[in-house]
Amino acid sequence: MYAKFSDAELAFQSEVRSFMRDNYTPELDARINHPDTFKEASIEWQKCLDRQGWAAHGWPVEHGGQAWTATQKYIYSTELAAAGAPDVVPMGIKMVAPVLYSYASDEQKQRFLPPTKASDIWWCQGYSEPGAGSDLAALQTKAVRDGDDYLVTGTKIWTTYAQYADWIFCLVRTSNEGKPQQGISFLLIDMKSPGVTVSPIISIDDEHHLNEVSFDNVRVPVSNRIGEENQGWTYAKALLTYERTALSGVGYCKRTLATIREMAAQSHNQAPSLLSSPDFQARLADVEMDVMALEFLELRVLSAIDSGSAPGMESSLLKLKGTEMQQAVQSLQWDVAASFGGVLPAEHGAEALWQSSGNMARRSYMFGRASTIYGGSNEVQRNIIAKFALGL
Amino acid sequence: MDFSLSEEQLMLKDSVTKFMAANYSPEQRGEIIKKADGAGHWASFAELGWLTVPFSEAAGGFGGNIVDTCVLMEEFGKVLVVEPYWSSIVLAGQLLARSSNAELSQALLPAIMAGESQASFAWLEAQGEFNLSHVSSTAQQDGDDFILNGEKQLVLNAAADFILLPARSSGSVNSEQGISLFKIDARHPALVREEVALMDGQRAVNIRFNDLRVPASDMLTAEGEAYSLIADVVEEALIALCAEAVGAMEYLYKATAEYANTRKQFGTAIGKFQALQHRMVDMFMATELCRSLLIRAQCSVLDDSSDRQKDIAALKSMVGKYGRKVAEEAVQLHGGMGVSNEMPIGHYLKRLMMIDSYFGNAATQRRNFCELSYA
Repeated sequence: MYAKFSDAELAFQSEVRSFMRDNYTPELDARINHPDTFKEASIEWQKCLDRQGWAAHGWPVEHGGQAWTATQKYIYSTELAAAGAPDVVPMGIKMVAPVLYSYASDEQKQRFLPPTKASDIWWCQGYSEPGAGSDLAALQTKAVRDGDDYLVTGTKIWTTYAQYADWIFCLVRTSNEGKPQQGISFLLIDMKSPGVTVSPIISIDDEHHLNEVSFDNVRVPVSNRIGEENQGWTYAKALLTYERTALSGVGYCKRTLATIREMAAQSHNQAPSLLSSPDFQARLADVEMDVMALEFLELRVLSAIDSGSAPGMESSLLKLKGTEMQQAVQSLQWDVAASFGGVLPAEHGAEALWQSSGNMARRSYMFGRASTIYGGSNEVQRNIIAKFALGL
Repeated sequence: MDFSLSEEQLMLKDSVTKFMAANYSPEQRGEIIKKADGAGHWASFAELGWLTVPFSEAAGGFGGNIVDTCVLMEEFGKVLVVEPYWSSIVLAGQLLARSSNAELSQALLPAIMAGESQASFAWLEAQGEFNLSHVSSTAQQDGDDFILNGEKQLVLNAAADFILLPARSSGSVNSEQGISLFKIDARHPALVREEVALMDGQRAVNIRFNDLRVPASDMLTAEGEAYSLIADVVEEALIALCAEAVGAMEYLYKATAEYANTRKQFGTAIGKFQALQHRMVDMFMATELCRSLLIRAQCSVLDDSSDRQKDIAALKSMVGKYGRKVAEEAVQLHGGMGVSNEMPIGHYLKRLMMIDSYFGNAATQRRNFCELSYA
């Protein structure tokens, strides 16, 4: 048993670190964090990662992935987070791609994988519906066969970045026979198809990430279906597991905690710093110690995947604890910013530094409330763990 | 990075599991506690080679590291072993093994490893809180001897043949300098003993010593320089103790889920109720988080990481907090059975409460963590 990095791993770490330093510039960071430039700047960043061969590092090698060990994946994500750089927007490279390289036809792979890897396709995910959230199998969007096409009608909701998307991968109902899970198919739909309408949903961070996407007799070629008809649930379930593995956010937690420590250590007008208060220290320590545990929980999962076990119930554990910790960190971040007047809008005189960190804290905190809801709500994760880990 | 156990470690684990399955039911454990002679299965532990695990091959031991010790301790935790492995082998045994007084350790260790003699470490004083450098017992040199005066509390393993006892020959009461560590006979005539049965089935002894004369050759380090030896041994002993706690926590969440699947109310197994399921998931989660910190601390020692002390403080603090939480939940979910002394559940709670109290409870260790992190 050991956690120490080998010389080769240390070399890899410094390679990643200097790449991040050289390429993730403050200018790029500012553009990624501004809604008006978010899309183009994200694509630019992902293309930069792709040129290095890192954007789709988790893919099989034959499709352009890297044969990284668990340790390397950990080093990569840690360095990415430490540089404050975002990971790739997950819907394409991390969410639809595993379904494509696992279940798509060769022709579909050739058509979709390279542009997905190069960030030339912006994907969004069409799963949730107004009547199908945690109970995803209750989805009603129907696809009716018409010659070589399906006619798709229905509504998807909470669709992240649909306003930017070129394509949407959808679960649609192709049959009402048998159990609800049995009549679902996995379809790729061009967002420019006639009959697709995207309506914005403004979230409690006052931003536009989410959308409702409606389909009114949208014509979709049968050749856009992945795998067998009525087998989509199986493919989607495999995908959800990958989605959850990507959700612990421990790198984000560590970086944000470092920022919190830095901010809390500053003192204003000779007042003692927040970090010198035993109450604040105790709160911060509670979160930090949990994050230390989360970090090794993730390493244990990665290491198990490395030695051949598939991610299963453990990814639910990571999703559950990871999102709880993200929220705990955001809550602290907000308190620190608020203690310095960061709650005030600029025109009411908050100091510039605290005003911007206040904005950041407010946005993270507010949108962070979604993390325990998406990807299968934490209540659903607890149900899954109860069944599979505890046999209840 | 590799968190798997070696083949040897898996065999060691297996040997403990098998032995405990045959010899350590709650009833059998109750019998051992009732006898109160400190013997228990100690002879079998010796026969199975477990008493030699943390000692170097040069000293005649198995040559195990912290992971090997934790493998044993975790399995012990699952059945609440009351034999004094932690106090005699992990604490006192390691103090001797790492002592600079080779003659003394060569004289004492073989009998310890053979199970013929038991030892203890008297670290706690009445006002000492959880501070290792708090030593007010005095050691005054008199020719080739030292004269010891003072009191120690909660000296674990009342059946120990000898006690390792820190006393101060110089420095102020909380100074790391000036602490010497003496080996004294546990039945020394100058020792006033008061035996105490602890709630977790262990027997301890409070001791007072008035003008107890020890030869200087029974000192484990050079005079006044025992602090770093003590601190090093205690660090690893804390990890081992937390391994025991994680074993106990694993027992608790599994036993609770099993009980919930069989106990019927309102015409259904109570394990079908979502409100209870989610609480059991949180017990499981807490256990896995503590196990993750346990692995983190083990790696920290093996890799000689500069974060070692922080990792250990976090581990001990979280094991204190979550261990108690898991045990309280287990009692609650067992209903009336949980508060019955005849059932095992409450005994795990008692043990986890005692584990929390040793060398700094959750709050104290969190304060240590803060000092290491934010000072």
